[in-house]
Amino acid sequence: MTQLTQLLAELQERFGADADAAIGEQALENVRVAYLGRNGEVTKIRRTIGTLPAAERPGAGKAINDAVAAMEERLKAAQAAVESRAVDAELAASIDVTFPAIAPAAGSIHPVRRIIEESCDYFMRHGFAVVVGPEAEPDYYNFDALNIPSDHPSRESFDSFWLTDSVLLRPHTSPMQIRTMQEHRPPIAIVAPGKCFRRDALDARHLFQFHQVEGLLVADDIHFGHLKGMLTGLCRELFGSGQRVRFRPSYFPFTEPSAEVDTTCPKCRGESAEGRCSLCGGSGWIELGGAGMVHPNVLREVGYDPDVYSGWAFGFGVERLGLARYRVDDIRRFISSEPDFLAQLS
Amino acid sequence: MRVPISWLREYAAIPADDAAITERLAMLGFPVAEAESRPTLSGVVTGRIVGLEKHPNADRLQVGRVDVGAGEPLTIATAATNVAEGQVIAVATVGAQLPALRIERRTMRGVVSHGMMISAEELALPAEWFEDGILQLDQTTPLGADVVELFGLASDVLDVEITANRPDATSVVGLARELAASYGVPLHLPRLRDSYDEPEPTGEAPRVALQSTDCHRFVAQRFDGLHVRPSPAWMRIRLALAGQRPINNAVDVSNYVMLETGQPLHFYDASRIRGGTLTVRSAHEGEKIVTLDGAARSLSPLSLVIADDREPLCLAGLMGSASSEVTHSTSAIVVEAANFSGARIRRMSGALGLRTEASARHEKSPAPALTNFGAARAAQLLTEIGAIAYPPRAFGAEIATSPPVRLPLRDVERLLGLTIERERIARHLAALGCTVEPAGGDALAVTAPAWRRDLGIAADLIEEIARIEGYDTIEAVEPSVPPHHISSAAFDRERALAHALEGLGYREIVTHSLCGSAESDVAVEVRNPLSEEHRFLRASLVPGILDYFAANGEVRVFEIGEVFRRENEDVGERTALGFGFLSHRDAARPWKDDAFLRLRGDCETLLRRVTGRAMDASPGDGRHFHPGKRARLTIDGRDVGELGCIDPRTSRALGLTENAYVCLIDVGALPPYATPLYRPPSRFPSTYRDVALVVRADVSARDVERAVAAAAGPSCTGVRAFDEYRGPQVGAGQKSLAVRVTLQRFDTTITDEEADAAVAAILAALGERFGATIRT
Repeated sequence: MTQLTQLLAELQERFGADADAAIGEQALENVRVAYLGRNGEVTKIRRTIGTLPAAERPGAGKAINDAVAAMEERLKAAQAAVESRAVDAELAASIDVTFPAIAPAAGSIHPVRRIIEESCDYFMRHGFAVVVGPEAEPDYYNFDALNIPSDHPSRESFDSFWLTDSVLLRPHTSPMQIRTMQEHRPPIAIVAPGKCFRRDALDARHLFQFHQVEGLLVADDIHFGHLKGMLTGLCRELFGSGQRVRFRPSYFPFTEPSAEVDTTCPKCRGESAEGRCSLCGGSGWIELGGAGMVHPNVLREVGYDPDVYSGWAFGFGVERLGLARYRVDDIRRFISSEPDFLAQLS
Repeated sequence: MRVPISWLREYAAIPADDAAITERLAMLGFPVAEAESRPTLSGVVTGRIVGLEKHPNADRLQVGRVDVGAGEPLTIATAATNVAEGQVIAVATVGAQLPALRIERRTMRGVVSHGMMISAEELALPAEWFEDGILQLDQTTPLGADVVELFGLASDVLDVEITANRPDATSVVGLARELAASYGVPLHLPRLRDSYDEPEPTGEAPRVALQSTDCHRFVAQRFDGLHVRPSPAWMRIRLALAGQRPINNAVDVSNYVMLETGQPLHFYDASRIRGGTLTVRSAHEGEKIVTLDGAARSLSPLSLVIADDREPLCLAGLMGSASSEVTHSTSAIVVEAANFSGARIRRMSGALGLRTEASARHEKSPAPALTNFGAARAAQLLTEIGAIAYPPRAFGAEIATSPPVRLPLRDVERLLGLTIERERIARHLAALGCTVEPAGGDALAVTAPAWRRDLGIAADLIEEIARIEGYDTIEAVEPSVPPHHISSAAFDRERALAHALEGLGYREIVTHSLCGSAESDVAVEVRNPLSEEHRFLRASLVPGILDYFAANGEVRVFEIGEVFRRENEDVGERTALGFGFLSHRDAARPWKDDAFLRLRGDCETLLRRVTGRAMDASPGDGRHFHPGKRARLTIDGRDVGELGCIDPRTSRALGLTENAYVCLIDVGALPPYATPLYRPPSRFPSTYRDVALVVRADVSARDVERAVAAAAGPSCTGVRAFDEYRGPQVGAGQKSLAVRVTLQRFDTTITDEEADAAVAAILAALGERFGATIRT
């Protein structure tokens, strides 16, 4: 019995020394397994109980259990010490928080899409739907239905790419006006963004492939003031709340009255001295596109009575908006889409 | 059109400065592309040379005495050689400011000079358009008058843009009328000669034969007794300011009247009209004309000409022949003020590659009535320079008055959202030349003036009212949009794709829809391409994306856009999505390609997010791809696209040092979004078993997975192949595949026995189906 007691005392002492010496959780676990594990030192001693006289066995069992409890207590303390050392070590770390960040694979949408989406969002909030349609369109949708008969001089200003005798790449998104009005009865409230093509030589201000955002509202009692209201709102959406919008009389066969729409130059705000603003040329205004009240002939073409319904339409060039919005120096950058251009504008 | 503001002010006392007029023109629909301001000029007056003698000390100088209207004549030395006693000239007096110098009293070789006799150049006029030396003024010019004021040299010159519907405003009078109406001041038309009460001259009056319906009206008028010489200074200066080179007093009248009235004129030397009849007809094939610009042109019947009995004397509306040109020996002319089909002139102009001030006006189809206005103004000016006028003769259509347009006043408010009083409306319209009468009810009957052809309906008149009232007076209001049923689904779908790809780390690009090579035999060709590099419409997004890679290197990009193919005689069009990246070539394991798997992973994620459905990939046949690394993509059994490694031959040909991986989606084929339904997880733990097998190399992982799932029974909740190996350890034509099977039940915990039984069933099935063996 005293032999057992001595054995257990020695064991505890060794265990304590090993536990204290263990560095790290794994080493401590190894110590635990060596002493308290299934085949550990304690188990070996426990196996000797059978050799003791029966009367001594309960005492021996208790002595072993007490020793195990003490060792487990000791182990806990050692574990706590190890963990505390680990936490201290971790807390001792100190990094340079200004070191360059590790960037994720950055995705982005094209600035053209961003402008289209923001424009469309503005109109959708006001109850408009967004429709999209084909780029190769018959001349009927591009011209005839829009009150531009063949031989009309303004067909010249839509210098187009022809694919067949009657099909061309749309020079504007206006065919979607006709398609939508033929498919639906008033009220019509749509925005139609999309790619257009005109035979313009490529330079810093002209693309032969560009995007437009077109809008059309036809219902009872829609007037020019509503057009001004929505387009003023759009410009403020895109350029900020102080933005002013100017409507100048103009001529388009498919609207009457017609207007050119300008907005305050976002770069110089009209304050460039005797004007060499690189964006607006010093006029203080940038041109956004055309607008006007839908021509009665266009309404008649789709079977609407112009004495009952009235409406307005507009078409803006998206890359032109982009030039002004992002201060891009050359419109061709929208189509070369270089990584740096995309990264800067994303 | 170049318009000196000083000329505009001649017809209306516009109460505004040049800058305000420029702004107002824009707000009337005539934007000013450029406002050219004139240099500061002062102290220049008219004077007469009353004495001229040689300079006593310098051979090349003369000393003049110049009467400037007041005080003693000024002594002025000059080096010019075109001076003579009696001439009226412009003199810069002491203190005068000229563009390049200030005039001081100056001693020239002992003679004190009190000013400077000046040339056109010193007045900032194009020197090459005027006489060498001192500018010669007319004898009738008052002496001592301020030259800058007299000739309007201080006002800005505007380059005004005129829309296609306003040929009447492509003229100084037309623009002056707009400004007069806008400022509410009267318009004073120039003097016209339209009465002929004296006895008619005895010569032969011109005859005109109209043999083409493309000439609507032709006013012909003969003038005799013409002395061709330089025009008076005021006209030469005014033309020069307007950008027209002065030629002689006849040609200048023709140009002046065109600028002033908008009606192009043509003057023929009457002695060159053989037979005396001008015939308007289509040219004969191969007929020749040498035009005023010296070009010898061969004509086709497309061209409309005005010919005498022998040959064409004029390309209608474009340019006259050199042979019938007015020269210094001309004494009799025939003036043509004609109205042609704008479309015909436009086609002619395009075909001949010849565009003139006259053709630009004819192309816009001005009103036939303008012919009378132009002819009468020319008659006035030619009479003023001493020509004897025959009465004009008009051929072709009479001037028709257009029927009145009914203008309901409620429509003005309905379209503009602006309430304007009836009287005010009537006043605006009258100021533009309309005749306005009451038309019963709340409406006006408005008759457009003869020079306007663009006022045919009420909406046209409403625009006029708005222009004069000012677009800026219309209040901006937000409309309340009534509900409707128009769908935004297609836009929403595209947007969802774009944003999902943005989230997956791809950048959107826009490339050219027009490309230089046909690519396939169904490519759509542009009939009138801008250049060879843009002759065909793209049939696929792949070339654009590859070109982008070649130009920009390693980037992950996507594009959404239309692609085209010829379908019989029609043009077929689809919306395509392409995305991809470059990845280095890995020759070590020809049977495995992680870049391909990454691309497919992105595609699966994308399509799940956008359609709510699972995508399936199987070996494909896409023409752009590597034959062993391409897949067709389906959702619910329907083709939605393809993906793979781009054929390395293509990549190498583009100079790419890496392989390109591209996925193509047919956006229109994607099924509608299927809302996923939630399934609560089992409360009982799952277990898994990994099975390593050896199968033939051509057995696909997907087939093995499916066979495993089928064999494992209903408690199988997932099967995934996670490792593949080929090599000496498994033998040629074989591969090792590791598959993890997950088992889970909803009613109880899976036991080891159940799991083992499932594995046994799996192995049995795989052995039977594929001859698979367990890898040891």
